[in-house]
Amino acid sequence: MKRRTFIKRSGLASSVLFVPNFLKAHNELWPVTLGNKKLVIIQLSGGNDGLNTIVPYTNDVYYKNRVSIAQKKQDLLLVDGEVGFHSALSNFKNLFDDGFVTIMNNVGYPNPVRSHFRSTDIWQTASASNEILKTGWVGRYLDGVAKDPVGAIEVDDMLSTLMKGKKINGIATKNARLLYNTTKEPYFAKVLENSKDKHLSEHNLGYLYKTAIDAKSSAAYIFEKTKVYKSLWEYPKNSFGKQLKTVSEFINSGLKTQIYYTSLGGFDTHANQVNSQKKLLGTYSDAIAAFVNDLKNAGTFKDTIILTFSEFGRRVKQNAANGTDHGAANAVFLMGENLKNPGMFNKPSSLLDLDSNGDIKYEIDFRQIYTSLLKKWLHTDTEAIISGNFEPLDLV
Amino acid sequence: MELQELFHLYKRAGFGISLKKAKEKSSKKREDIIKDLFQSSKKTTLLEVSVDEIKDLVKKSSGKISKETRDEIRKLSRQKLLDFNREWIYRMADTNEQLRERMTLFWANHFVVRGRNIVYYQSFNNTLRKHALGNFRDFVVAVAKGASMLNYLNNQQNLKKKPNENFARELMELFTLGEGQYSEKDIKEAARAFTGWRHNFKGDFAFREKIHDFESKTFMGKTGNFDGEDIVDIILEQPQCAYFISKKIYTYFVSHEVNEDHVEEMADIFRVNYDISEVMRHVFMSKWFYDKSIMGTKIKSPTDVLVGMMRIVPYKFKKTRELVYVQKLLGQDLLNPPNVAGWSGGKKWIDSNTMMVRLKLPSVLLSDGIISFDVKGEFEDSLTEFNKKKNVGRRLDVESDWNFFENEYKKSSHAELASVVLGANLQEEAKSFMDSLEKESKAEYCIQLMSIPEFQLC
Repeated sequence: MKRRTFIKRSGLASSVLFVPNFLKAHNELWPVTLGNKKLVIIQLSGGNDGLNTIVPYTNDVYYKNRVSIAQKKQDLLLVDGEVGFHSALSNFKNLFDDGFVTIMNNVGYPNPVRSHFRSTDIWQTASASNEILKTGWVGRYLDGVAKDPVGAIEVDDMLSTLMKGKKINGIATKNARLLYNTTKEPYFAKVLENSKDKHLSEHNLGYLYKTAIDAKSSAAYIFEKTKVYKSLWEYPKNSFGKQLKTVSEFINSGLKTQIYYTSLGGFDTHANQVNSQKKLLGTYSDAIAAFVNDLKNAGTFKDTIILTFSEFGRRVKQNAANGTDHGAANAVFLMGENLKNPGMFNKPSSLLDLDSNGDIKYEIDFRQIYTSLLKKWLHTDTEAIISGNFEPLDLV
Repeated sequence: MELQELFHLYKRAGFGISLKKAKEKSSKKREDIIKDLFQSSKKTTLLEVSVDEIKDLVKKSSGKISKETRDEIRKLSRQKLLDFNREWIYRMADTNEQLRERMTLFWANHFVVRGRNIVYYQSFNNTLRKHALGNFRDFVVAVAKGASMLNYLNNQQNLKKKPNENFARELMELFTLGEGQYSEKDIKEAARAFTGWRHNFKGDFAFREKIHDFESKTFMGKTGNFDGEDIVDIILEQPQCAYFISKKIYTYFVSHEVNEDHVEEMADIFRVNYDISEVMRHVFMSKWFYDKSIMGTKIKSPTDVLVGMMRIVPYKFKKTRELVYVQKLLGQDLLNPPNVAGWSGGKKWIDSNTMMVRLKLPSVLLSDGIISFDVKGEFEDSLTEFNKKKNVGRRLDVESDWNFFENEYKKSSHAELASVVLGANLQEEAKSFMDSLEKESKAEYCIQLMSIPEFQLC
């Protein structure tokens, strides 16, 4: 059967959507106390090698462990007497020099897990390493604070655990028009038209209808709100650049969404790391610089913080295939205009005191960073969002 | 037994029953129908994809395996895991051993591992199949000795000198007792008992005396030179264990809203000799299993959605990757559960994105529709692969067998077709909605039925 026939037959061309009473315009549900602060979260997926990103070029241990893949001093963008940035990070270095970057070294958690899946889970749910949480910390923010799926957007087509709450899930989209068009397909509209209040109060069935209606209204809200704004800024022509451009369009068009999440993959460099990491860091640095400049230009950078993390760092000692294996603690970047402590937040590891796997020990728990951002940037209590008591840091 | 109840039983205990077969059975008593259900799952048909190429590679390298060979094996393994995923889905769609396959799927989300090595995974998956309706004690021991499990929960790294607690913890927290039913000390002691439980390169269980801790352990109030099997025995002596498993079965097969009385009934039966068939038979025989509040109110898992459709209109993916792609969009890549706790199920399957995919899926799979979503890359992807992702509409390469459907349903009424597709307990609203649908072609009617939210329940 042809799809056209199906749609023609099943769809009513004109469909005024029946909106049940409890679903009014989004704005009414939005608590007035919410600020306009934005948080953009970027995961360097696969485990970025922090040691070859922020290079401790005066440390002999570094060179001894990385005979063929160490970054030479003359190639680095020197920061101070201790570290230099990888040569591909020149745009990132400019932001750093302007005071827009805080670099935290040795960030991790006790008893580190070296599986991508599990460690990503830990970072996304903000759990301890032997604790399984089923909701993401951003999802819990949606549950308790934003109370609306549009409170957080993942610029991708599938929703990560990070964005899933107990009651409310964020929404995933890379393209507001596509998402909107999907919800506008005739059968979708017709199905929703059929929903009645009584229906919606039904246990699971009601939940399905409610989610479908939410999807439709979220998609419509995002599309309507963002359709007039197009970023004219030049971004690198790759999918990461495109994703950040989408985030900037969402932010700059005044979407009420506070938290955005996106990721750049490919960092699992077990073999021939030097070239592939160089390309990746270049992609990151160029796109992030375009993003920051775009926001600055639009006057929204002052209200935005960008957090970049990776699920783990890599082993100090390189492997035989000119790559590195899964490690533990790693560097985390924070960007923004009003950072309390721009520059190097703490010293890099001496590399002398490693754990039994030969990995860097953590000094800052990643949940301290989440706590700081929630408390001091998004101005919210963390009790229901981060389990355990973590001392906030002087970041924002 | 009424038709509605038959559809319900077969959707929950299996993956669905055709109208013809349901009609044949409907004159029988519940007891006999359930007897049949168990009878047809009496034997175990293993699920296997050929791993000869991998075995040959291992054989050729006689003893020491080079890095190149290892990489090749890994690559082959990844491909074979995709094949296994596909074959598993097809198995569920056309097996007669419905109950056994349903139980296998259930246990795969209880004794959770990720598919990394096809040889180990395949064997583990068949362990689930073999023990699915058997004795729970034997089951736990077999699972604990499986190479996939030994790897996934790090028992390979559990050494006398340096115990690794991962397996011991999850054994109690997720597999047998539930959170808070043991102390941290119990975990430490149990971990010691499992030291030396390893597998060899071929994936066979191998007990290594040298790294096993033979000293005395004190576990749940008992002291002795326990090994892993002793620990399992002591755990099963706890009344909590039968309760915990019964509750899990209830949640999966009956409802997320737990009725404690019913769970206690089940636990009392299960506790006697941990016979899984016994407790399952009790569930399917119970009056409460066929209550109006239970029938047609459970949210289908993505696998149920895919397989359920296949049982009505058989379809095949020409490219296995596209099957996995659809699974990811729906949130259940069958061989890659999110973590050791598995998928939570129920409402957790549904968010705005998965809901839209679910509603669109029938026209995408059966009617040449377009789907405009991308899936996340793998952790192992390179940047080039990462950049390949394009957000454009796609048509999936799917072949559907409408002849089968026509043959099966040419003589049935629209209402009968609706009862097969949507099952029991339809609301008045849904009925009047269905009346408003075009009924010219049964095929189109069927796709439309599958495209309404009611189809997401079973």
